[in-house]
Amino acid sequence: MSFAAEAIHLDGESGQPIRLTVTVDNTHQSLTGPGLHWPLNTIRELPDTAGGDLVILSRTENAVERLILKDSAIRAHLPCRRRSAPVANRPLLLKWAAAAMGSVALILFVLVPIMADQLANYIPPEGERALGQVTLNEIREALDDSGLEPVRFCTDPDGLTALRRIEARLSGEADLPVEITVHILDHEMVNAFALPGGHIVFFRGLIEQAGAPDELAAVFAHEMGHVASRDPTRHALRSAGSIGVLGLLFGDFAGGAVVLFLAERLIDAQYSQTAEAAADVFAHDLMRRAGLSPGALATIFERFAALDGDTRTFMQHFMSHPALGDRIERARRAVPAGLLPEPLMGDADWAALQTICSRTARN
Amino acid sequence: MHSEERLSASTPEGGHIEVSYAGAQGPMFALMLKTGLLTLVTLGLYRFWQKTRVRRYIWSSVNAGGDTFEYTGTGLEKFLGFLVAIVFLAVYLGVVQMILFYLGLNIMVDTDTADEGDLIGMVAASVISGLAVLPFLLFAIYRARRYKMARTRFRGIRLGMEKGAWGYVIRAMGYGLLAIVSLGLLTPLMTFRLEQYMTARSYYGSTRMRQDGRWSDLYAAMKHVFIALGILLASGFLIYTGSESDTIPKIVLGVIAMLVGYVWIFVGAIYYAVQSFGYLMSHKVLGNEIRFAAEPRTGTVIKTYILGGLLLALLSSVVFGIAFALAMPFLAGIESLFADGEATMTETQIMTRMIGAGVVVGIGYLVGLVVMQALTMILITQPVLAHYIGTIRILNPDALDRVHQRAAEAGIDADGFADALDIGGAI
Repeated sequence: MSFAAEAIHLDGESGQPIRLTVTVDNTHQSLTGPGLHWPLNTIRELPDTAGGDLVILSRTENAVERLILKDSAIRAHLPCRRRSAPVANRPLLLKWAAAAMGSVALILFVLVPIMADQLANYIPPEGERALGQVTLNEIREALDDSGLEPVRFCTDPDGLTALRRIEARLSGEADLPVEITVHILDHEMVNAFALPGGHIVFFRGLIEQAGAPDELAAVFAHEMGHVASRDPTRHALRSAGSIGVLGLLFGDFAGGAVVLFLAERLIDAQYSQTAEAAADVFAHDLMRRAGLSPGALATIFERFAALDGDTRTFMQHFMSHPALGDRIERARRAVPAGLLPEPLMGDADWAALQTICSRTARN
Repeated sequence: MHSEERLSASTPEGGHIEVSYAGAQGPMFALMLKTGLLTLVTLGLYRFWQKTRVRRYIWSSVNAGGDTFEYTGTGLEKFLGFLVAIVFLAVYLGVVQMILFYLGLNIMVDTDTADEGDLIGMVAASVISGLAVLPFLLFAIYRARRYKMARTRFRGIRLGMEKGAWGYVIRAMGYGLLAIVSLGLLTPLMTFRLEQYMTARSYYGSTRMRQDGRWSDLYAAMKHVFIALGILLASGFLIYTGSESDTIPKIVLGVIAMLVGYVWIFVGAIYYAVQSFGYLMSHKVLGNEIRFAAEPRTGTVIKTYILGGLLLALLSSVVFGIAFALAMPFLAGIESLFADGEATMTETQIMTRMIGAGVVVGIGYLVGLVVMQALTMILITQPVLAHYIGTIRILNPDALDRVHQRAAEAGIDADGFADALDIGGAI
């Protein structure tokens, strides 16, 4: 079977297209024409071409030469027309890939944390407090289910008085860089956290789940540990740096924001493990000095563990409080022999604290 | 692609050839969808190959007198360029972002209690943080155009552009500052000089390009912006005098005029973009003998934006509606739990179904975004591009036959900086 067709030859040297007739030479396995000899197995077809009524051919030995045919029957004679070009510059590619990975690792795991730690010490207190306030308002809005107003603060006066007792007992023994501001949010989440500028936030869920005042005091002491080491501020600085770099990596594709968020969470969880452990140690120490048992931290952690159940295994990677078992163990070991805890408050105060959300306010 | 003319008749009539765009909606949609989904499953890695394939399709759709353009860039070189950009930008961006955040915190204030001075300080800080990346953005703009030129071929002859990205950065910042200081009055100077800078460094084969014309001629393209500003000024005057003298009709008229002026300024900006492109294209000269003509119509471009935008809005509700509808079977039966209070499912069953619904909605959302990107391409980007290209004519095209090849360029950064800094848009 022989093949002949009209074609345009672009020699890649001049801009003038040359019309000619090409034939498939089966004995030499090549495409030939006047002054033209292309071995069939070196011929490639350009992909993703619009229109589809033209066949544009190139050959592997020459980057610029082209043959343009209208007769698509030529395709049957070209065994390698779809084969992609071999990866050129493989060593160069590997070199830059390694350099890029090194650069990203350097910035994410060395420079950003070091700078965040240093900068956190120099942030003026007013700026830090304002950041905490803005973050708190964002959290209140994000957690709102009604869509009407931010999550409300719990303000029962008796409950607040009881809470002050815990605060007074602990802060007398803790040497904190900033003044503490405590907020209780009317939300069922069993959690508490510290924000930049000494804001400590408890959720109603946590207060209701706690079995005794000491347990709340233990969580309080743990959050004070975060305030002492300025973890929330360092965390915010770190996120700002990491997100800048991660945005660069994942680009602007659909869902890039989701991947970016998850990657940031994963990196953050790594940082946080050490921060959590340090806050625990701070809490053990503070509880002892305040005449309370560090074992209370273990008790409330056990309540968390019971609540979380088996969802923990998967979620662990995305949460900043992993390996609860170890932390319970360490809290138990921190209890000094023969410790007699001084009670924090009476039953009436404790009851008031547990119902602190019987009255709420918007601000 | 219309090859008829080339294969049958060799000399174009009247000393000019028309440029046309042959890309169709169907194949482009299929290409965008396929490559978009691949980008999704590769967590964004395939985007370099996606960009390459889409450009190949677009370039091959541009037909001048029977010959089509060819895009010879590769995904791999873009990936390499991305790696290079990362090496240079990762440390810079990470450090700069954090320092800016730190500086921002130093002057951060509680918006409820802050006074004006503090707020102005905050705004100034965010402007400064934008300026920190600006030189890189401008650098990336030039490099990206140079890369695209170097990977474009017509009749087998390479296009190309000389080095000069930093010169572009300096000029763009200078003219940009002039435009800002003059309250936008010197925008034509900026547009013209920057285009002139790039054109003077552009080649087809070994033949150099030149930008003729005068920058002040671009004021004709600014006319609708000026009309809009006039209307806005008048509306401000009406509202001010109306409220001074408590004449309600004056205020109402002023507000209406303000709305009109607001819409007009958008139209004016599009008019400027379209008409300045036409002017600049019509005053380009290749090798002293080949000239171009372009008459893009603002009305067509605006119509495409409006109709395409409306259609997109409509289709997006369909696309995302389907994504949510697919999640519905998982939730069936769950609402009855709340209705009669009798548990018909175990807690694990409920959890499984909720997670199932979440996963379906999540995937549906991401796929929906890919579909929307593909639709935007075929409803807005491609039609606008087709219109621009379709109005171009090449005058004295016989001289194209005498152009000779230029050497290949091998910059390793491709358009990696543009990719890393998210510029360059759809193509």
